Amino acid sequence: MTLRRGVRFRPLETRGRRAVAAILATFALVSVVSIVLSIKATGRSKHQAAVVQVAARQRTLAERYVGEVLLARSGQRADPATTARLLAESAKVLLDGGDVPGVNGDDDEARLPATSAKTARLQLLQEQRLVRDLTAVGSAYLAGRPVSGIRLTADEWIETPDPVQRLRILAALTSNVSLDAARTIADRADRNVGELVTIQVGLGIGGFVASFLLALALIAATRRQTAHFRSLVTSSTDLVLVFGDEGCRYVSESVGEVAGCPPAEMLGRGFERFVAPDDLPSVRAAIEHGAPAQVLLRVLNKFGEWRNLEAHVTDLRGDRQVRGVVLNARDVTERVRLEDELTRQAFHDGLTGLANRALFRDRLDHALQQSGRQLVSLAVLLVDLDGFKQVNDSLGHDCGDQLLEVVAARFMTVTRPGDTLARLGGDEFALLLEGANELTATAVARRLIATMASPIEIAGRSLRVGASVGIVTHTGAGGDSDALIRDADLAMYAAKEAGRGRYEVFHHEMARELGELLGLEHELHLGLERGEFEVYYQPLVDLETRGLVGAEALVRWRSPTRDLVPAERFIAVAEATGLIVELGEFVLADACRHTAEWGRAGALPDGFVTWVNISGRQVSAGGLEQLVRQELTRSGLAPARLGLEVTETAVVLEGTGGDRARTELKNLHAFGVRIAIDDFGTGFSSLGHLRRFPVDVLKVDRSFIQGVEHDAKDVAITANLASLAHALGLVAIAEGIESPGQLRTVRELGCDHAQGFLLAHPMPAHELRRLLRGSVAEPGAAAASA
Amino acid sequence: MRRLSQPRLHVGALLVAVAVLGVVLGASTAWPRSGGSNGRLVYMTVEDFKINAPASIRPGRLRLQLHNLGPDSHELLIAPLRAARLPLRRDGLTVDEDALEPLHPVEIEAVEEGDTEETDVDLRRGRYVLFCNMAGHYLGGMHRTLVVR
Repeated sequence: MTLRRGVRFRPLETRGRRAVAAILATFALVSVVSIVLSIKATGRSKHQAAVVQVAARQRTLAERYVGEVLLARSGQRADPATTARLLAESAKVLLDGGDVPGVNGDDDEARLPATSAKTARLQLLQEQRLVRDLTAVGSAYLAGRPVSGIRLTADEWIETPDPVQRLRILAALTSNVSLDAARTIADRADRNVGELVTIQVGLGIGGFVASFLLALALIAATRRQTAHFRSLVTSSTDLVLVFGDEGCRYVSESVGEVAGCPPAEMLGRGFERFVAPDDLPSVRAAIEHGAPAQVLLRVLNKFGEWRNLEAHVTDLRGDRQVRGVVLNARDVTERVRLEDELTRQAFHDGLTGLANRALFRDRLDHALQQSGRQLVSLAVLLVDLDGFKQVNDSLGHDCGDQLLEVVAARFMTVTRPGDTLARLGGDEFALLLEGANELTATAVARRLIATMASPIEIAGRSLRVGASVGIVTHTGAGGDSDALIRDADLAMYAAKEAGRGRYEVFHHEMARELGELLGLEHELHLGLERGEFEVYYQPLVDLETRGLVGAEALVRWRSPTRDLVPAERFIAVAEATGLIVELGEFVLADACRHTAEWGRAGALPDGFVTWVNISGRQVSAGGLEQLVRQELTRSGLAPARLGLEVTETAVVLEGTGGDRARTELKNLHAFGVRIAIDDFGTGFSSLGHLRRFPVDVLKVDRSFIQGVEHDAKDVAITANLASLAHALGLVAIAEGIESPGQLRTVRELGCDHAQGFLLAHPMPAHELRRLLRGSVAEPGAAAASA
Repeated sequence: MRRLSQPRLHVGALLVAVAVLGVVLGASTAWPRSGGSNGRLVYMTVEDFKINAPASIRPGRLRLQLHNLGPDSHELLIAPLRAARLPLRRDGLTVDEDALEPLHPVEIEAVEEGDTEETDVDLRRGRYVLFCNMAGHYLGGMHRTLVVR
């Protein structure tokens, strides 16, 4: 299919210029042709007049010749020969052109062109013949010769023998033919003039018609252009208004559409009634002075909507066609709305609608300036949710987002109108309290924490999260927003360290601890590179047989600067920085290697399993199955000798990462590797997941074990967890046994195995090997038998 | 008398063509021949200095059509032949037409070269002279006898 090209738009000026140019060109062409023709006709007429004159002179010469012959014959003085020559030469010049021979008393000199007209040439040839006959007869008569014998050449047949009569007849014939030739030439001149007149008239009429048609075309083009522009103006979505001294003089149709009323209502002072009062001064200035070049205004239409208009002002008061100020406006309401929305999005959190970090920083900077000038205090509260990560990991980000929205709403209930509550990212919130001292800030912090007291219902689940709040206050000049946020962050971490669900006010000692924390991360990197980590093994004891049934591999860091660093001190840092994956691989490899060595040494009792903790990050990262198979292969350890401890959240993780993790764990279980759920009871385990998932062991969290001696709830929970494990065909392990009472109770509650300081501390591989070989007393034997 | 000079060339050429065709087709039997309702058409030509016409024609109404072959202008007059010579004016160069009264000659005046003109005449039996009365033309040989019988 061929698409037709659209008609190219031609501005009025171009089309008008072309029409005017065409008219002028037509007139110029007609004029030039007319002038050229006139010049040629005038020249031709001039020659023809001379020819007529010479031709007419021949008649006189012929008669004069006869007279001179008669005079000469009678002996009087005459010169017929000269006249005869003049006759002959003139006849030749008339025919072929040339200089006209002069006649006595006639000083006119002329040069004639050759005669081209056929009739005239025939007549002049006849004249030549007659002149020849005339002069021949005249010569014979003068010489006394008989003239009747002279042969005549012009087809004349003269009967009379009288020479004089013959001469007169021939002169008359010559005269006649000369007059005929002159008449023919004159007629031709007349015809030339007539033709010239005809041509001039034709050119005039043609030029007039052409100009008339071009003028019509110009008018039509102008009308089309006018209609075109009128159509453009009336159909354009742009608003066109023309203002004069009497107010609004013209409005386009689109103005009525925007205003929701007939355009006529806008005329005169009507337009100003629609303009927002705030914008009226600038609009009036534009209307009266034609400046500024651009005006932004709002109009309230009949539907009660405020529309934003962007108007370009053009001062055409000096233009005779307009004589006014033209406002060419566009409805930019949607654009303004979008810009407002973009601005809002740029400074607000899309999820909660709270201020974002940028706006919080801006408000904080502004508040610090105020504080510097007016010496008023301010406080920054940094809030981090406790337990949010577990929600996010176990229930997915959608639930996490919903939780954040609820939390934001709850926080909003305890803030004042002038406070700035922001979400800085993740589960971190910040609150700026202008004019607040430490007392006020701590009161607000308590209220913030209190808002988290009641559970939050998300997706049919009742979730509990807490809030840890860090507080920093500032008064006077010299405040720095970065430093304040950092200090509040430090205080918040202190609150978390202190047990979560509480607040801490920043003090400068915290800065030192922060520096230590940062140094710890750096040293962790170095420690991994330098091999400063080693694996300790804490034995697991069968509560029935009292025999060793396994050991949990626990990493220890022997730092050259910090000596032996406890796991709870660096594991959190490793988790946060991602080093936990690398650390986990190290522990897995070491545990496999040691257990294989013990097996090759024949030290392992039947059913002995070495348990390795696998972090949630490592599970969800993927590749665990391949890693375990690789380490088993490398060490030569039987899969059944290796157990993996994963947390509840890792098992119930949603999304593709969770699916992959479960698949890998199932594959490993099918391969023979044992799976245990660590810290069971603290997460959000779904019993459905647990039923479908290939788990061998449930490890009851130490927090429950610690209370079994005095807390009925912990007893009940522990008993139920053990019962649940047995119902699912699993082994229940009690962690953190530190007292004989705990040991006795868990055995009574149905736990199968136990581990804890009461039974055995974590020990290096070689010590466990000795223990396995029975070279030392069985750990906790006394306690186990208690 | 009716002049056929406008437009001169085209109409004249057409008439000449028609006349020549007529002459060729009817020269032996039909010249002078009938010409429309006004009488028989008799075609004649003049040239320097002679008249081409049939020697005799039948009496009655005739339409004489004269074509000038030129190059000079000529005219044609028809007068009853009374004597061997027509009377001349005092200039001695032209026939005294007044002397031919009361039998005024039929004439076709001033036919220019290339033109054709015509006139209607009613000739009775007798002898007539055809002549051109431009100065010197009659004496220069432009005359011819026409017998009507």
